[in-house]
Amino acid sequence: MKNGGREELKRLNERVSAARREAEGRGESFYPGPSRVHLASFPPKERWDDWVELDSRAWPRRVEKRYMLVPTTCFNCESACGLLAYVDRDTLEVRKFEGNPEHPGSRGRNCAKGPATANQITDPDRILYPLKRAGERGAGQWTRVGWDEALDDIAGRIRRALEEDRQKEIMYHVGRPGEDGFTERMLAAWGVDGHNSHTNICSSGARAGYHLWMGMDRPSPDHAHARVILLVSSHLETGHYFNPHAQRIIDAKAGGAKLVVLDTRLSNTATHADHWLSPYPGSEAAIFLSIARWLVANRLHNRDFVRRWWNWREFMAEAHPDLPPDFERFEEKLEEMYSEYTFDYAARESGVEAGAIEAVARLVAGAGTRLSTHNWRSAAAGNLGGWQVARTLFLLNALTGAVATEGGTHPNSWNKFVPRPIHLPRHPDHWNELTWPAEYPLALMEMSFLLPHLQKRSGDFLDVYFTRVYNPVWTNPDGFSWIEMLTDPERVGLHVALTPTWNETAHFADYVLPMGLGSERHDVHSYEQYAGQWVGFRQPVLRAARERLGESVSDTREANPGEVWEENEFWIDLTWRIDPDGDLGIRSFFESRARPGTKLGIDEYYGWMFENSVPGLPAAAAREGITPLEYMRRYGAFEVASRTGALHEDPVPDAEHEDVRVDADGRAFTRAPKPDSPNVVPLPVVDGDADGRRRLGVEVDGRILRGFPTPSGRLEFWSRTLAEWGWPELATPGYTRSHIHRESLEDDQMVLISTFRVPIQIHTRSANAKWLDEIAHTNPLWIHPGDARGIGVGTGDLVRVETEIGHFVVRAWVTEGIRPGVVACSHHMGRWKVTDHGQNQAMATVDLERGEEDWSLRRRKGGGPYKSADADTSRIWWTDVGVHQNLTFPVHPDPISGSHCWHQAVRVSAAGPGDAYGDIVVNADRSGRVFRTWLGYTRPAGRVSPDGTRRPYWLLRPVRPSREAYQLPADDSAGG
Amino acid sequence: MELIRALATLAEPPHPAHAPIARALGLPDPPRPADHTGLFLFQLYPFASFHVGADGMLGGEAADRVAGFWRALGREAPDEPDHLTALLGLYAGLSDAEAREPAGPGRVLRRESRKALLWEHLLPWLLPYLHAVSEVAPLFYRRWSELLRAALVSEAAELGPPDRLPLHLREAPLLEDPRTSGGDVFLRQLTAPVRTGMLLTRADLARCADELGLGRRAGERRFVLKALLSSNPDAALDWLGQEAARWRGVHERYRAEAEIVSRFWTSRADAAHRLLVELAREAREGDRVAPPSLGGEPPAQPTAAGSR
Repeated sequence: MKNGGREELKRLNERVSAARREAEGRGESFYPGPSRVHLASFPPKERWDDWVELDSRAWPRRVEKRYMLVPTTCFNCESACGLLAYVDRDTLEVRKFEGNPEHPGSRGRNCAKGPATANQITDPDRILYPLKRAGERGAGQWTRVGWDEALDDIAGRIRRALEEDRQKEIMYHVGRPGEDGFTERMLAAWGVDGHNSHTNICSSGARAGYHLWMGMDRPSPDHAHARVILLVSSHLETGHYFNPHAQRIIDAKAGGAKLVVLDTRLSNTATHADHWLSPYPGSEAAIFLSIARWLVANRLHNRDFVRRWWNWREFMAEAHPDLPPDFERFEEKLEEMYSEYTFDYAARESGVEAGAIEAVARLVAGAGTRLSTHNWRSAAAGNLGGWQVARTLFLLNALTGAVATEGGTHPNSWNKFVPRPIHLPRHPDHWNELTWPAEYPLALMEMSFLLPHLQKRSGDFLDVYFTRVYNPVWTNPDGFSWIEMLTDPERVGLHVALTPTWNETAHFADYVLPMGLGSERHDVHSYEQYAGQWVGFRQPVLRAARERLGESVSDTREANPGEVWEENEFWIDLTWRIDPDGDLGIRSFFESRARPGTKLGIDEYYGWMFENSVPGLPAAAAREGITPLEYMRRYGAFEVASRTGALHEDPVPDAEHEDVRVDADGRAFTRAPKPDSPNVVPLPVVDGDADGRRRLGVEVDGRILRGFPTPSGRLEFWSRTLAEWGWPELATPGYTRSHIHRESLEDDQMVLISTFRVPIQIHTRSANAKWLDEIAHTNPLWIHPGDARGIGVGTGDLVRVETEIGHFVVRAWVTEGIRPGVVACSHHMGRWKVTDHGQNQAMATVDLERGEEDWSLRRRKGGGPYKSADADTSRIWWTDVGVHQNLTFPVHPDPISGSHCWHQAVRVSAAGPGDAYGDIVVNADRSGRVFRTWLGYTRPAGRVSPDGTRRPYWLLRPVRPSREAYQLPADDSAGG
Repeated sequence: MELIRALATLAEPPHPAHAPIARALGLPDPPRPADHTGLFLFQLYPFASFHVGADGMLGGEAADRVAGFWRALGREAPDEPDHLTALLGLYAGLSDAEAREPAGPGRVLRRESRKALLWEHLLPWLLPYLHAVSEVAPLFYRRWSELLRAALVSEAAELGPPDRLPLHLREAPLLEDPRTSGGDVFLRQLTAPVRTGMLLTRADLARCADELGLGRRAGERRFVLKALLSSNPDAALDWLGQEAARWRGVHERYRAEAEIVSRFWTSRADAAHRLLVELAREAREGDRVAPPSLGGEPPAQPTAAGSR
């Protein structure tokens, strides 16, 4: 042996051991851990420039295809999984999409929606050129226009509005953003508080619950390392971070973790559960409180964690000032507070057997700090008081200490990295009451779905209204009120729809501007999918491919099909046209740093960001001899931190200690300036002390630690915010009976669950994907056999579902997979168009009518085969594309979180002779009445604000305005 | 056993942290990622199942046997239980556990576990495998393979030989005669080392094409083999027969260090040599069209080394 004999081997063994001891003595890792390339799964990255595969279509001939593999990020849901585009080197066309193994979140795996991007980019119905309305709004007549004409028109209106101090008349309404902050910063640069998200019809209920606990508003469960995983909803098959979470949940299950699922339906997730609880909708919080009570009563909670990290002293001082503020007394009070929540009580509320709940409680107790829990929409989005579902769910983590632990639930902001951009704009100096009305001072996000009602009430005008990859007419409840607003030129001056594909809302636009799909646009994003931080980069793959071949592309339209653009370049160009001379002070936020006075380019924007704001990326790129931007164009993602943890336990560095003061509640303040961070992830802004010091952290057992970004610096079991802003009775986690609680229903009413998804569709984004449409294209009504017998229907029969404001007609699917007394109908489906413009493969053609009292929508023609450039469209075998149930739902804004409460009290009966499949009828007056009824549940800021402001300043808010704008107006318009 | 753990780590994709490990072992500078990919993803797949499995593919019964060994130790089998680095890491872990165990039955038990791992799942394929590495790899991995081979042989000497042939090898089927089982089956089996006694890498097949003056086709190994056998059957069969004979010599060379393994592989290479030479002769004489009749459609083209 060239390396010597046994003595030589012993010597080498010793040398390695010594080197390891030395490295570990320095606190470093000696072995980096496995990073194995899975042989069979992915082309090795060293060969991504020239990858050879056989053309499957040429079989049995062996025809080699040579590809460039270019990474991007899926744009079909918010998981933002990595994709690899297979770009044909001969034709420079994208042939297919597969997973990107370099993406830390998705790890090379995708669901059906990722590869279906190939359908979307070749969809024969897609919009390829800017279109301008030719007839009346909604008449379906369009003229192709140039980008310059459209941009000048839009920019001119916006400039006039800004010059005339009408900033409030500009609004941008976004569905899933799919990016981290570009557009928010653009609005801030314009000085416009006009951001309007979809979130209050989505996740804001749950997020409000989390926000009140820990200051950060989303859960980031470390499923992969959990011992017990507790999900509210069908998260395993359709969750918000579906694919990244699902694969980690399955990893954990393979390692012995137990899966607990609360889902009224027997969803695919429920079928994978070790414990499936099917609660009566809205009773979930009662179940969690019964588990919490049992943990506390048996002293199975993590006492040290609770003592150190809950704001129990504050609670005792406020709620029990007569008692000594010691921890044992608090525990007694805690037990006393929840004493009524026995398993039997929870069983009565939920219909789940007490023994089944107790079994879950025992699992939770045994999980230690490896309890990962998650609630995104589901019950939190369905019920009045839904935010308490997430709040009581997180109570279990807070009791067990499974917070930011391995296998526990982390705050999202600690597992997310938003790189600081080249320019950071100012805060707008005004407040937009159309999106942040005074009735909802604690709403997590904009009251977006109330816009038509709020605008009708106030008479405010929207001069320029953007809908961006968003379809409020279809997605929001009460869609007819949106049609009324959008078709009225006295209410909306110019409606611009930025969308890759036709949708119901774009039909009522003035301009339809084609924006790129996932492989046709630039974005950065980072999502809290596991206990780590990553940055993903979406890019126009054909542009990147051409650049790899040595071409120079300065405008993404040069590489995209037709005149499809991307948003980054669009907004920069539009901004320059709004402020061509810079005299409005806007243009400077979109100027090059390298060449002052010239337009900021995409390469410089992202190049600067990756060079300066992503720790570790420049070094990783340097190791490969490329720039950070080239690295991201080559690999599509970068992991900034692979293990994050309990950041609240981190001691604050000495450098930040300057004239430190600790107040009676243990909050520490300093005069040292806050160090700049390259990570600009949104965090609450908590106030400093009266002497001008900023918040430093919180004193725990004599040490100043980072703590949580809450007013107390700790986890807030007791919320001063709720107590002081009009809701003292809800200041601690509790159970709010839902609007569809059994006692609130008439005898002949049932509950309709309308929010559940199917794994292969994504809201209104995926109707342009033929593979997905073939798999899932309709949405029958789940109904229990007992209920079906009661109304005399079987599977396939038509049923009429009556809501508070109208009805829809759909087919029944009789199944034991749903609780008796509850029916369920998925969304995604029921797409429609009034004219030939639209998706043909998944949209019915309908007659839309406005009568004196009622709106109606009746199906004229279902789906079916048609001729197009894609021969597959002549093979469409389905005609049923589902029913648009959301039109018949009135608005149900939760008075605290602002979330729409989706569940409906309905009457279900066999369809009558005059009913036809897909019929929709809605009474417009009743819709207004329901809006006013729910408005009556609120406690407006003018009445309850403790400090004369519109909203607690510490709460998160997109495009946060200046502090002055938070002041309530002097008149009584704020409901005082 | 830090040495084996370190060598396992160095078989992972190159990482900056590998540099101090390589230095401590006196190895050259760590390789480029492309070298690692070239060796482990294109030439010599570092999975036990590939080398001792009946089909010369990843996964299957051979991988199940390895996974069963992990479970028998009370450990969770990793995603790739038969990957070289996983097995070496396990070996190092068992060695450490044994060292920590006080003298007595517990330590004996752990030693037996280690011995079983060495003889059942490492040596049955690694001795020919590491030889093949030394033939095709760049400098760093050549030196790495020599060191790993020395360490394993040293362990074998310390633990002593096994009582009987390792299960993987006991269960390994023979190379079937294409005159009875057909050309397609023969083609598949030619790329299964445990049947033929030889490890045919892409580099070997390129060498074959060059030496015989045949066209060098790009593609998966079975496709290349089929192209060679179709172009010039007798010459290609003869070349393969000589290759088997060459491998017979390779296996004989480690007879003293791992006799039971060496004898198995030698006999497999010898049987393959005799069959291939005979087939070549028949092809030359034209009395039979041996494997080149390989009728039917071309074999499927997996993206790399097959799929699990």
